Amino acid sequence: MSPPGEPVGRRTSAWVLVLHTVTFKQARGLVPIVLVVGAGRGLGDGPATVVALAAGITLLSLLWAALSWWRFSYADGPTSVVVTRGLLSRSVRTVPLDRIRGVEVEAPALHRLVGLVRVRIDAAAGQTLGKEEELVVDGVPRAEGDRLRARLLARRGPVGAPGDPDGAVPPPEPEEELTRFDLRWLRYAPLVGGYLAVPLAGVGALFRVLDELPERWRPDLGQPDVSGTTALALFLLAAAVVLVAGSVIGCAVVNWRFRLVRRGGSLVAVRGLVTRRHTELEIDRIRGWAVSAGLGMRLAGAARASALVTGLGDAARRGQLLPLGPRQTAWTLAARLVDDPGELRRHPPAARRRSVVRACVPGLVALLAGAVLGPLAGWWWLPAAGAVLAVLGVPLGLARYAALGHTAGPRSFAVRSGWLVQEHAVLQRRAVVGWQLRQSVVQRRGGLVTVLACVGAGRGGYAAVDMAAAEAAGFARAASGPWAATLEPPA
Amino acid sequence: MQAGAGRALPGWAVMNPPPPAPAREPAWSLSREAIGLWTAQGVLGTVVYGLLVTAFWVFVPADAGWPVTLVRWAGPALVVVYGVVAIGFRPRLRYRVHRWEVTADAVYTLTGWLARTWTLVPVSRIQTVDVTRGVVQQVFGLASVAVLTASSQGTVRIPHLEADVARRVAEDLARRAELVRDEAT
Repeated sequence: MSPPGEPVGRRTSAWVLVLHTVTFKQARGLVPIVLVVGAGRGLGDGPATVVALAAGITLLSLLWAALSWWRFSYADGPTSVVVTRGLLSRSVRTVPLDRIRGVEVEAPALHRLVGLVRVRIDAAAGQTLGKEEELVVDGVPRAEGDRLRARLLARRGPVGAPGDPDGAVPPPEPEEELTRFDLRWLRYAPLVGGYLAVPLAGVGALFRVLDELPERWRPDLGQPDVSGTTALALFLLAAAVVLVAGSVIGCAVVNWRFRLVRRGGSLVAVRGLVTRRHTELEIDRIRGWAVSAGLGMRLAGAARASALVTGLGDAARRGQLLPLGPRQTAWTLAARLVDDPGELRRHPPAARRRSVVRACVPGLVALLAGAVLGPLAGWWWLPAAGAVLAVLGVPLGLARYAALGHTAGPRSFAVRSGWLVQEHAVLQRRAVVGWQLRQSVVQRRGGLVTVLACVGAGRGGYAAVDMAAAEAAGFARAASGPWAATLEPPA
Repeated sequence: MQAGAGRALPGWAVMNPPPPAPAREPAWSLSREAIGLWTAQGVLGTVVYGLLVTAFWVFVPADAGWPVTLVRWAGPALVVVYGVVAIGFRPRLRYRVHRWEVTADAVYTLTGWLARTWTLVPVSRIQTVDVTRGVVQQVFGLASVAVLTASSQGTVRIPHLEADVARRVAEDLARRAELVRDEAT
């Protein structure tokens, strides 16, 4: 049965055949098999084999890409999007428009050469947020990508309102720029773990490639003949330079010309040098925000801000409001979305005691074990290391305690925790879908409790660790609604 | 601290008053059959660990150094301790701690035995309600109810209710969630 106005299926551009073949998109899965077969039968070690392999894989890849392209079509109807695909078994996925949570248009470098984009449609359906929730339409012209995005997100207001079957693009709404990445902020990049990992991964990959190369193609570096200390110093210096430069370059490539603008009911983030990404978030679905900062970032006064959005797949990346910047900018930006409920309440002294004890325990255990094993096995370093760790545990515990805090305001509430990475999360009252209070034996004796606000956004739960047990029920009620009064203990 | 105001406390409690719980106790306890089920689980666990330790005694040569000797003697001791706790204490303690309640606008549970967890989910935010009956549960005529929300961490599990109670609770919650459902996220 097909409704009268059923939309026709559209195809992606044939250029994707070339793109997928060049990037070995489908053939990548074959490479391990080829390697295994090759290892089993013994590959001739010569350029001819390599060329033959490359040609074979390219052909297979082209064939595969052609089949997938031929069998793929998408259609955006008045109430739903339908994607049809599959080589042998036909798969037809229908996603109602009111389930679509976000549309991302990205333009990887090769796509840009031929004027194509990739459209990711985020369709969350309750519990499981994963890759399967995503529809990907890979390889449509730029204009078609923009039309699709505008069309899929144009639906506003009540479901069932007469859609626009022609898929006409609504007139562009006025934009308001919220942030723009400042190149000076790149100086924070070496302080962020994620960006430091970029050069490390690069160096690792380089060594792997060197390892794989046949002996005779490896560059002959010879034996370096420098004295030990100089070599070490040079090596450390070089490593530091590579790390710093790599992290700055990595950060610049990912966040190149980052802009966050407000357009009608959506926030639009655009960024990236090689792959240009265009992410759209519905403001209606924003339930809160989190400003987080690692240890190094806090020392430099830097932070990052992300929006906590319901039903957003890959939330850590897509929810980003400010990937990296001065703390003040992050806070000002975040507070425009959801009110900051103000100064945090500190947690009771029992929380400080628990935090310090917990931080010292590993050191104390090592110290005790060392006291027993030291004389037996001659491990004198063990008690010494234990003592140092136990002493260091005191400032660590105090710092972790200092990070704790919570408060409830008229429309939102806040919790903060973490030392290595400190996260300050602010959520709307309506965001809470449940409360969980957890109390261990030690917490019960200390009159403490960990209160977890369950929300359908971000990580799924945000905890006020070790708050006074007597305050828990009052906080829960103030931070959500009258239904939480069920928790209140009898007077 | 206004602990014990208006209530007579036993002598030891006045000396060392128990800290007040952070939240009210839900009204209802689980089916008494739950004790039997937890005991059965304790027995099963003890048997499995016992078999592992026996296998260690049989298959690992005794003269392989002091770590092996340590495991040979500590293993059985740990199994005995585990058996006593898991069969003798834990089922009763769990039964005393576990409570549940369905109020006019929320589902509320208290679970745990040493550490405790109170979970509260309003009916308006319920997304799905599941009833599960495990193999051991079927022997005891029990079933568990799981109430799921949009948050991966906001799931209420009511373990080990009588099977028909579980079914009725699930039906009632699902129907009410349908009626008051707002955006649910």
